[in-house]
Amino acid sequence: MLVLAVALPAVGALAVWGLRRRPEAHWIGAGAAGFGFAAVALLPVGRGSGAWFAADGELTGGWWHQVAIDWAPSLHLEFSLAVDGISWTLALLTALLGVLCCVHNAIGAERRAADLLGADRSASAPLQVPAGTFETGGPPQGPDRVLGLRTGDRASAPLQEPPATVETEGPSPAASRAGGVPAGRDPASGSLQEPPGSFATGGPFPAAAPVHGVPAGAAGDGPESTEWHSPVLTALLLAVQAASTLVFLADNLVLFFIAFEAVLLPMWAIIHRYGDPAARRRAAAKFALFTVAGSLLMATGLFAAVADTGTADLGAIILHGGVSGDASLLVFALLALGFAVKAPLWPLHSWLPDAHTAAPTVGSVLLAGVLLKLGTYGLIRVAGGLAPDGAAAAAPVLAVLAALGILVAGLVCLRLPEIKRLIAYSSVGHMGFVVLAFAAGTEAGIRAALFGNLAHGLVTPLLFFLAGALKARTHTGSLAALGGLRLAAPALAGLLGFAALASLGLPGLAGFWGEAFTVYAAAERGGAWLALAAAAAFGAFLAAAYLLRMLRHVSHGPVAPAALGIGDVSGAEAAVWAPLVAGTLLLGLVPGPLLDLFSEGLL
Amino acid sequence: MRVQAIDHAAMLPLYLAAAAAVTALFAGRFAKGACAIGLAAAAAAAVWVGLGPDRATFAVGEWHSYVADDAAMGAAALFAALAVLVAALSGRRGEEYWFLLAASAAGGVALAGARDLITLIVALETLTLPLYVLVTRPGRDGAEAGAVFLIASVTSSATALMGAALLYAASGTVHLGGLAAGLGGAHAGLTAAGAALLLAGLAFKLAAAPLHAWAPLVLERAPLPVATYLASASKLGGAVAVTWVVHFGLSGTASAGVVVAVLSTASIAVGNLGALVQRRTVSLLAWSGIAHAGYALAPLAVIATAAGRDQAGPAASAAFAYAVFFVLLEAGAFAALTAVRPDTEGGLAAATGRPLRPATANGTASGTADFPSDTGLPSGTGDLLASGERRTPGAGLQPGGPPESGLQASAGNAAPLDPPRRTPLAALQSGGPRESVLQADAVNVGPGGRIAELAGLWKAAPLPAAVLLFAVIGLAGLPPALAGTFAKVAVLEVLASSAVWLAVVVAAGAVVGLAYYLPLARVLLVGRAGRAPRRFAVAVALAGLALAAVSLAPQVVLDFTALSR
Repeated sequence: MLVLAVALPAVGALAVWGLRRRPEAHWIGAGAAGFGFAAVALLPVGRGSGAWFAADGELTGGWWHQVAIDWAPSLHLEFSLAVDGISWTLALLTALLGVLCCVHNAIGAERRAADLLGADRSASAPLQVPAGTFETGGPPQGPDRVLGLRTGDRASAPLQEPPATVETEGPSPAASRAGGVPAGRDPASGSLQEPPGSFATGGPFPAAAPVHGVPAGAAGDGPESTEWHSPVLTALLLAVQAASTLVFLADNLVLFFIAFEAVLLPMWAIIHRYGDPAARRRAAAKFALFTVAGSLLMATGLFAAVADTGTADLGAIILHGGVSGDASLLVFALLALGFAVKAPLWPLHSWLPDAHTAAPTVGSVLLAGVLLKLGTYGLIRVAGGLAPDGAAAAAPVLAVLAALGILVAGLVCLRLPEIKRLIAYSSVGHMGFVVLAFAAGTEAGIRAALFGNLAHGLVTPLLFFLAGALKARTHTGSLAALGGLRLAAPALAGLLGFAALASLGLPGLAGFWGEAFTVYAAAERGGAWLALAAAAAFGAFLAAAYLLRMLRHVSHGPVAPAALGIGDVSGAEAAVWAPLVAGTLLLGLVPGPLLDLFSEGLL
Repeated sequence: MRVQAIDHAAMLPLYLAAAAAVTALFAGRFAKGACAIGLAAAAAAAVWVGLGPDRATFAVGEWHSYVADDAAMGAAALFAALAVLVAALSGRRGEEYWFLLAASAAGGVALAGARDLITLIVALETLTLPLYVLVTRPGRDGAEAGAVFLIASVTSSATALMGAALLYAASGTVHLGGLAAGLGGAHAGLTAAGAALLLAGLAFKLAAAPLHAWAPLVLERAPLPVATYLASASKLGGAVAVTWVVHFGLSGTASAGVVVAVLSTASIAVGNLGALVQRRTVSLLAWSGIAHAGYALAPLAVIATAAGRDQAGPAASAAFAYAVFFVLLEAGAFAALTAVRPDTEGGLAAATGRPLRPATANGTASGTADFPSDTGLPSGTGDLLASGERRTPGAGLQPGGPPESGLQASAGNAAPLDPPRRTPLAALQSGGPRESVLQADAVNVGPGGRIAELAGLWKAAPLPAAVLLFAVIGLAGLPPALAGTFAKVAVLEVLASSAVWLAVVVAAGAVVGLAYYLPLARVLLVGRAGRAPRRFAVAVALAGLALAAVSLAPQVVLDFTALSR
């Protein structure tokens, strides 16, 4: 099952790439990702007690499952996989995001195909999804979901707009096609009735029409090239998924390094090939160089640990308390430097905003949801596990950097004009919380770090999906050019609000536990840590400020020209986002089981 | 006086390789077959001997001059196999070509088993000497390459000999096994000077800085199959020589470690910085090869410290393993490149060196006649090759041929000009008017061509493109080209335990390397496909298979590269 979890996406990547000319390639990819997800999801079946016991002089039993095949003993390389509560949750998150990205991609491709067919008839193909699929969009998103249904129904009636919509949207053909919005009936937004007159600010409709009047895919994939939903992208996504899963499951340090490196090329290709044309090359190059620099430093640290302990078995080294005292600080410094690039920790974060902004939506989702987790997972389990003494010694430095990162990210986000960049920078802040919690080093801190890590992996991908949908609809990510989403696309605005609230740590949603306990863990240590806790708390306040600012710009106010006549959430999109919404709520309301999983993990 | 018994089984690979050379010299039109079969047999024999018990012969006291252990036979098999690959990539040549190639390979096989300084240097010279002729393409540029290679090589040989002499003076023996013992109480300054001169001279073959400057120039201008050989087998020769000397002879000498550390860091810095600005494929590979020479030398530097000297065995194994992975990747890259570049050698003797000059159809002699006299040997060798070419049936330059064939030849001469014309983008990117670019290309671009000409190769010729891509990614050290990753892991594992600062240098170099390997990989994948010849499919496929094999089962390489005393 362990091997399957890694092999299925990898085989799927090859299959999709091999069949890239076939129309069903996307669904093969989604299927492979789905099977991979199932394989990961089944891992807890038949797991051990979680307690370590000695058998034959070896400690065993702590891993749920374990598999080891010799590969290159001279290099200490063993194809050795193992899973426990900590790695399983992250592998599950990876697999989930992999499935969602593949499905997102497949739906995008289907929609494009439908657009190309229906463009002549000016059919509203982008939103022609059978109403039945709305059943799958089952998050408890009451009002929004109702609106989504309504919007979908409306959209499938091309050009025959009900009078109400014509009132609000104006007579622009593009606007009417893309689906009207029952602005006045949005119960989610507090202020209901916008006077019709305010729509005059929507500007001259004929002038706006060409902007949105892309004949095909007005609500789909606007500026991207024809290859945007190419099966090759799906293949690359699967490759990233396979390699990341391998990182989380690797029980051998050399294998861990190889898997860590294997993530790089597909991700580079995703950014480089499918990213935003203006910035992708630079961003991809920056991403690649930063990542390789980090991973080679990390490799040096790993191999120093291997040389010190004489084995590359991660579990064994952790159980024996890591490397010996003298080497500990060096090993930890090298490892932490490497993982800090990936995590990213201020001031090594500068690749991240560029990469996220330039990457396509699915790329950003994987970057935020998976790649950053590689860094934090490595920091918590590998760096912390291999060199606990070094970690303790270096904790103040890490904590100060993390707190600074939280503050800097918050302040920068307050002024950022672009939505994807803003979300990307907010990741720096969230990862700052994770690192701060880890640096605190107490049990509460480690759990908070793991929890915040996972929560960020659910919330930020959702934000990126939403931002991607928004950019695809409005063709702009500029906060200044957006506005009135609440009226133009209430369900989308509602989801965005939900995700933003989750991200800023509203109690009851996933983001809360990680950040609250980070502050608690830091404050628990007392002394100068209190100041760091205060800084983190202030950072959380800043997060609230900038996320609400984003919401104000995007959702509220009069409808901006760019947001005119955009379609609301389609059923397919809702289906893709639903698991993330559900997961966010679940983690927020019932954090207990997850914390139990963490507590039996090996650290 | 007792006559020593010679272990002929240990010598079998060398016998076979030498026999291949001699047979090729006399086999006439079957020279190519004789060369390839003989060398393949030598490789097989090396594997067979290597699988058996370790053998040694030519003993003086307890030290042997020729040893056939796993590492030696692995290296010998690799030398022979690389020469076979080059032979398969070479197309039609005169029979001298095959003789020279086989002779060079025989030198490599001898080098692998050499365990004393004299044998080592003689073997290395045997490996290098035929290359003076082989690198020289007829024409002025080719002659320049030959002259540069000759002068650099002779200089470095003299340096190495001087170093060997000093070490002999210090220790009283030339056997590598004896050096370790003999240098114990020797004069430290003498030892250091000897080690420095010897290692610097040997590192020339590896194209390590500071004796690296020949490599880009010679590789760029040599015929591509010969460039393949230079970049793979010849570099392996340098790596083997340095590794053997350091591991078997100088592993207790701290000054040797310092020398290697200097060579290594200088190579990494110079090679990477030089590669950053290259726009031609072969130049890029050549400069980056200098950096790789630095990575390969880096593990040997651990003997500079006392703590590292405990690690000397694993360190030398890592250096050797890196060299093996590296030359396999280089061979793959150059083989694929050879396959997709237009054939500029096939029989157009003098003309290809100066494609802009139209009046070369009839004359190899006229092509070489106007050389300055100081390059006498290269022009002579140009004649030698050319006369070989003239006898080749497919050359289109049969003696006294009709004027049509001359025309054909000059039409063929224009071939190197074609690719730049097909890719106007390249001209635009380099800035400046097209004419000047074309002119510059015609004068400076060797048979490897510009990187931009490889655009869209993926669509035009998937197999060579896949091999080239794999090799380039492997040279960058990234999965899924695991051969390169394993090489990097092998080096970093040693360095992380005993010389962390050098590991950081290697890591920094690899990061810079990414800055030029990734664009190269990108060029292969995207862009509109041009015409690309598709030749030597079998050779390229075999190179690709070899790379895939060592990627999946690195232990095959790591087993024989594990050095024992």
